[in-house]
Amino acid sequence: MPRNLGDVVDYFLPRAGAAPPARRARSSDGPPRPAGDRPAALPIVALPVGERDVVRAAFAWNLAVEVSRLGACATLLAPADAASAPLWPESGPGPVGTEVVMTEAGDLPELGRAALDLAVSRAAECEAGGLVLVRVPPAWLAGGSDSRALLRWVLLFTAGEPREMLEAYALAKAVFARHPEARVGITIHGARRIADAEQAFHRLADVALRHLGRSFVSYGLLVDDLHVYRGIVARRPIGLEHPQSRAARALRDVARLLLEDAGRWPVA
Amino acid sequence: MPELALCDAPPRRELLRLLRASAAGLWPAQRVIAEDVLGAEAKIDWVALEPGGRACVVLVGEQGEDLELVARALAQRAWLGPRLRDWLQIAPRIGLRPEAGVRALLLCPAFRSEALAAASALGPDVLSLASYRCVRDAAGVSVLVEPIRGASGAAEAIEAHPPEPFRTGLSDLDLGLTPDERREFERLASPGGVSG
Repeated sequence: MPRNLGDVVDYFLPRAGAAPPARRARSSDGPPRPAGDRPAALPIVALPVGERDVVRAAFAWNLAVEVSRLGACATLLAPADAASAPLWPESGPGPVGTEVVMTEAGDLPELGRAALDLAVSRAAECEAGGLVLVRVPPAWLAGGSDSRALLRWVLLFTAGEPREMLEAYALAKAVFARHPEARVGITIHGARRIADAEQAFHRLADVALRHLGRSFVSYGLLVDDLHVYRGIVARRPIGLEHPQSRAARALRDVARLLLEDAGRWPVA
Repeated sequence: MPELALCDAPPRRELLRLLRASAAGLWPAQRVIAEDVLGAEAKIDWVALEPGGRACVVLVGEQGEDLELVARALAQRAWLGPRLRDWLQIAPRIGLRPEAGVRALLLCPAFRSEALAAASALGPDVLSLASYRCVRDAAGVSVLVEPIRGASGAAEAIEAHPPEPFRTGLSDLDLGLTPDERREFERLASPGGVSG
């Protein structure tokens, strides 16, 4: 069901005061969670990102950092192919405890198993809960293999340009073909106004409803501002380098929406 | 998604065979009357005969050869024109009409704006362009040929160059969308579309 994008007010409203302090990802002061409600596995969010897609890879990593900054655990899992290696930071713990893990998985089922293993092991370690974000090579979605565990929850980044929306729609269609009950979320990037992002999301959702009989979940918008590109070049998270930038605040909003839904709809 | 992917062109002999077959489907009224003809300093890939008796010189280029191909086409057209009467003597019943003249058809993976502008200035009775792409599926390699229509340089340039791959690295062929689904987004991109 479409979410009201107006709730990502950080995009426009200046924030008074200092940035929230960076927290350890595996602390116990994360999002409220009923006592004794620790899941057996952290939710897995699949992110289709191409092997040379620098911008979306940067969004994925920065999103993971923002999840950590909100007090939850964030692990980013990616296939260790040579072509996409320059996209990701070194394996291991990174800023605010955000972890990058490379896997030798060579197809979707292997990647799904690696993600599930990680989701189970991190769930045991993270009292505050969290997310496992998994970079999925888009070409793998074309395979006919069983990948339902990995594709239960998918987040697509798309700009509002028709060609990008076409691509996002096609990816969503491929996901639904492999997992008809998948929750497919859309985050619009590159929007200059909330109204533009809303319009793009609703157009995409409308086409999906008419042709696929499925709807998308809105996960807000991201801003392609200068800090994103500086952050990509410097390989430094935007949320730490420029915590008050619009880009960082928009990322935090998306991270918050993901964590809220992770608590609302346990999917792993 | 269909198991169809863009691929490199096969060896030239096979490429020409595939292109001739594809051209026969696109322009069924054309009839190939000569292949691999040594023309002006170079070979003409094939010569076809059109319904009105006009000869058509067909040249196939590779990526980046489009501009050279335009010059070669004009040279080959100039070379063949005076020889048509000789050809008619050799094959009087072939249907060739030397007075109908010669035109050239160029097949190339993409055409730059200069080639498009040249073709536009010369007109379709002198020079026509068509782009081709090689695709591989379970049955092997095949070629997709797309005639470049119209005379507006800018619009043609967009059509002639294969669209940029998506950020995901996927191509249009990988997406597996129906024409109706594509139209939903093409409508947004058109000048009169609802994109705002």
